[in-house]
Amino acid sequence: MNLSVTLGRMTLKNPVVLASGTCGYGREIAPYLDLNTLGAITVKGLSLFPWEGNPPPRLFEVRAGLLNSIGLENKGVERFLQEDLPFLEALDTRVFVNIWGKTVEEYVAVARKLDAIERIDALELNVSCPNVEKGGASFLLDPEALRELVGRVREATGKFLIVKLGPKLQDWEVTVRILEEEGAEALSVTNSFPAMVVDVERMDFVFAMKSAGLSGPAIKPLALKMVYDLVGMTELPIIGMGGIMTAEDALEFLLVGARAVGVGTANLVAPSSAVDILEGIKAYLLRKDMENIEDLIGRVR
Amino acid sequence: MSFARICRKERFGERFVCFELEERDIASQARPGQFVMVRPGFRVFDPLLPRPFAVLSANDDRFSLLFEVVGKGTELLSYLEVGDVVEVLGPLGRGFSLDARFGILLAGGRGLVPLVFLAREFEKRGILFSFFLGVRKRKDLALLRLLEDLPRVLWSCEEAVSGGFCGTVLDLVGKCLERALWQGAKIYACGPEGMLRELATVFPGKEEDIEVALEARMGCGFGVCLGCAIPRRGGGYWHVCSDGPVFRLSEVVL
Repeated sequence: MNLSVTLGRMTLKNPVVLASGTCGYGREIAPYLDLNTLGAITVKGLSLFPWEGNPPPRLFEVRAGLLNSIGLENKGVERFLQEDLPFLEALDTRVFVNIWGKTVEEYVAVARKLDAIERIDALELNVSCPNVEKGGASFLLDPEALRELVGRVREATGKFLIVKLGPKLQDWEVTVRILEEEGAEALSVTNSFPAMVVDVERMDFVFAMKSAGLSGPAIKPLALKMVYDLVGMTELPIIGMGGIMTAEDALEFLLVGARAVGVGTANLVAPSSAVDILEGIKAYLLRKDMENIEDLIGRVR
Repeated sequence: MSFARICRKERFGERFVCFELEERDIASQARPGQFVMVRPGFRVFDPLLPRPFAVLSANDDRFSLLFEVVGKGTELLSYLEVGDVVEVLGPLGRGFSLDARFGILLAGGRGLVPLVFLAREFEKRGILFSFFLGVRKRKDLALLRLLEDLPRVLWSCEEAVSGGFCGTVLDLVGKCLERALWQGAKIYACGPEGMLRELATVFPGKEEDIEVALEARMGCGFGVCLGCAIPRRGGGYWHVCSDGPVFRLSEVVL
């Protein structure tokens, strides 16, 4: 059985990827599953300096979904390189690193530092962050800022470059053309959905930032539609993600044309989820008498 | 995650449920103050996340949990019966230190769970201790069954009970523990946040010697989602699941 997939010049041994922010820096989840069996692991979003994140509460569970307002807490790229890279060096799987910044310069600086590290296979750009220099609007919602950001990071690194899209896009065609022109090599689709909860007893928002990101099964059909639409719009390979809990969920994304799948919130529910999903995909291929996973990618269009 | 069979179920009062679970790895490794993540053992994604529960006791191949029904997740779990299976992950987190010469254990409501485990461990090690339990409602006194064979147990209830002390556990402590008695002791506490916050006032200058087991809404339970943040003394955050759930009072801002 051939499970390997290609994303442009990148080959993964199988399409199952651990999504950013749900597997820590790798070491934390390692006791609970064999990372080497997966296609890739995406290290949680790193910034140039350590960032302490949002005040609690940071989580709120809703029906079949989870809102989070972690606020991008991370130890910063330097401490990551000192404390966590050695563990990742020993892995036999692709290592993607998600990066973010408050300014273009910060993104570029992080990208440069990681560019020097051979073990890192790809950078995944979180472009949903507020652009502090331009009044805090998301890079994703400002075409010119997005163009500058992706272009400048592209100049700073020769690494395989993934851009992670959020569900709120200004103009999909415009966004996709910018990403293609500026040298993005793959898209992660999608990030959590902007959402909200109100505490009726206290008559106030649950989260200090008012809105938070919704993930989990509740968003899966929304994310699937988004992946389907984007597959029809670009030749860039897409890593589909959003509420994938089971092999069947993952297969849906592959069938509509995602070339890999990200497992996120499911890791929190059970840290071995990604391995279970991979096993389920294998069982499906056997049952369907299919030798090659490529044969099912994009089969439902 | 592994599957564990419920081999005993017991109710305490109206809102507390105790499960004894068969799972050798957790039973043999769990230490007082540690917790496990639990979800019903069938593929349901609503409720989505597993729930964190402190370990009540552990022996060779079985361990037990006791939880209060407070919401949808715990309610669903409370319907499970002997023979049903749950998914469990653990033992997780940093437990209590066991280096006390004399221990004062202070429990508020369901906060008694990790302290009962600690008391049993102290008994094994020959460490002397006093156990104080405070409950809100008369019916919650059913929890005293867990403490029946322990020496030096004192309790209080916020509802009037004949022959019982009326007030919170800290009111009780204030009445019967003089400074000379707690000065050389190590204090272990678990209960509502308000109670834990008050400890610094009740035991002035003792913050270094007070260990508190904290409760938090958790995502993963093993340190990847960073959802269970609590303010750290001196700035930044701790994560209850991986840095705790047991902290020295001097480490946290409650």
